[in-house]
Amino acid sequence: MSSGSPSVAPAASRLAVPRLVRTVRLYFVLLGAALRAQAQYRANLFLLALGGIAYQGVGFCFLLIVVERFGSIGGWGFAEVAFLYALRLGAHGVWLCLFNQLIHIDQIVREAEYDRYLVRPLNPLVQLLTRGVSLSVLGDLIGGLGLLVAASILVDVDWSVVAIGYLVLAVVGGGLVEASVQLVFAALAFRLLSTDGIRYIGDDVFNIFAPYPLKIFPRVVQLCMTFVVPLAFVAYMPAATLLGRTGELAVPAEFAYAAPVLGGVLIIAAYRFWRYQTRFYTSSGS
Amino acid sequence: MSHVVAGRELTGLFAGPSRLAAYVELARIRFWTTLTYRIDYLCGTGVLLLQIFLFRVVWSSVYADRAAVEGAGGVGSVGLSVQLAYVTLAALHFWVFNPGPSELARRVYEGKIAIDLARPAGVVQQAIAGQVGVTAAMLPFAALALLFATVVGGMAPPTSIGAFVGYVVAVCMAYVVTLLLSTLVGMMAFWILEVSGPMLIYRTVAQVMSGAIAPLWFMPDWLRQLAHVLPFQATTYTPVAIYLGKLTGEDLWLALATQGLWVLVLCVLLRLVWMRALRRVVIQGG
Repeated sequence: MSSGSPSVAPAASRLAVPRLVRTVRLYFVLLGAALRAQAQYRANLFLLALGGIAYQGVGFCFLLIVVERFGSIGGWGFAEVAFLYALRLGAHGVWLCLFNQLIHIDQIVREAEYDRYLVRPLNPLVQLLTRGVSLSVLGDLIGGLGLLVAASILVDVDWSVVAIGYLVLAVVGGGLVEASVQLVFAALAFRLLSTDGIRYIGDDVFNIFAPYPLKIFPRVVQLCMTFVVPLAFVAYMPAATLLGRTGELAVPAEFAYAAPVLGGVLIIAAYRFWRYQTRFYTSSGS
Repeated sequence: MSHVVAGRELTGLFAGPSRLAAYVELARIRFWTTLTYRIDYLCGTGVLLLQIFLFRVVWSSVYADRAAVEGAGGVGSVGLSVQLAYVTLAALHFWVFNPGPSELARRVYEGKIAIDLARPAGVVQQAIAGQVGVTAAMLPFAALALLFATVVGGMAPPTSIGAFVGYVVAVCMAYVVTLLLSTLVGMMAFWILEVSGPMLIYRTVAQVMSGAIAPLWFMPDWLRQLAHVLPFQATTYTPVAIYLGKLTGEDLWLALATQGLWVLVLCVLLRLVWMRALRRVVIQGG
């Protein structure tokens, strides 16, 4: 994620590590500054965080109503469905916490705020991500992680170190899967200038489908959710792995085992796509 | 920009004997300004259809091989086709009735409440007229959504002519209750200016309690009883249940009377809150 050109010269590669450390350090410094700015509006902040939880709560209520009345969905009982939902919400919280400023991409490109990022000695994407914070996303993160802890106790899983490690990686990996899809859409802003519509649809597709045992869908739809929009990897596959339900997947179990890694791979690919699209940036500036 | 033109058109109209023409004009203006965001609404239609598709898959899955499942609250057994028609229609109704933030809150937040106050017409009535305009603009999208919803979700004709007449009456009252509720919540803007958080919370509660995500007959008893005493069920559940013949005879009249009662109660409440809100007006911007 270094800001310079990916040169292969030995000198440059020796510099790459300290540069990455510097980028990460600056990321946190800038985030801290944005946080202090946002902390000025406390009441609304609290209500927004609560609103964030409430927004995500609709889907959960639906699941609860159905499971309470019918016992299970696709053979997944209350604890398992709650665990799946929490895993997805945690992943969603991770993506939002790291990348929430991407929602302003249209404005940043159209109003030439991006010019500023180009003249400062730090990766433009890092500057963009730290331009502000939206503390309402804490609602998603805290809600998701809280529910995840509760559901993890309820489900019948032997929580070994490996299982816990897999879970943590799955939450982060799931967040990165969502983030990479959104980063690809956001990168299109450099050419299209308007990406609100597709980014919201992308977000909604994950919101609507990712928290369900996807085996209830027709097989074709399942395959689409695995290979076209990779939302099966966000929560369903890791949850199926931990709950010992990989037999019901539309793909071999190895896909599910590897789910947490996919996020890392996809985000690198998405970042490359982003870098490529930034070349098409033309300042509207004055 | 449009309100400058609007103001000029309005002065002529206010001179006339009836203010109704002015409100119709306000609704008309809002109708056209809403339609400028037609791409957003088209995207919204797509997302709504995905949501309906999810409902269909989930309910079909939990019904499994059963032709009908016993519903609570005296509605008798509910066939899968009726259930699918319910969730499709309920989602559609809720979507059309709740297009976004309350008009009143938007006017306060943007500081345009100053113009509204200066006009020789009721501020609340102006906001409601605007809201009606927004809903009118959504009707073409609703028609489009309905067309596809019968394919991705389910649909049934009204069970009888009586049911259809009852539905028409109920849907009108349901809309009035929705308008009053959202305006009431929007009035919070006079106290806290930024109401996106409270609006999200309201929307969530409304969505669950109105029966927009699941009918009252499949809710756990405590939730169903809670939903019965709250006004939200009058906005979605009542008209759709009447249409599908799940509220007939005495129940139908009782449901309509309940709607009427809520209209009265909310009108009084709105008036009381408005009298207090007026003393707290803060004009944003200049």
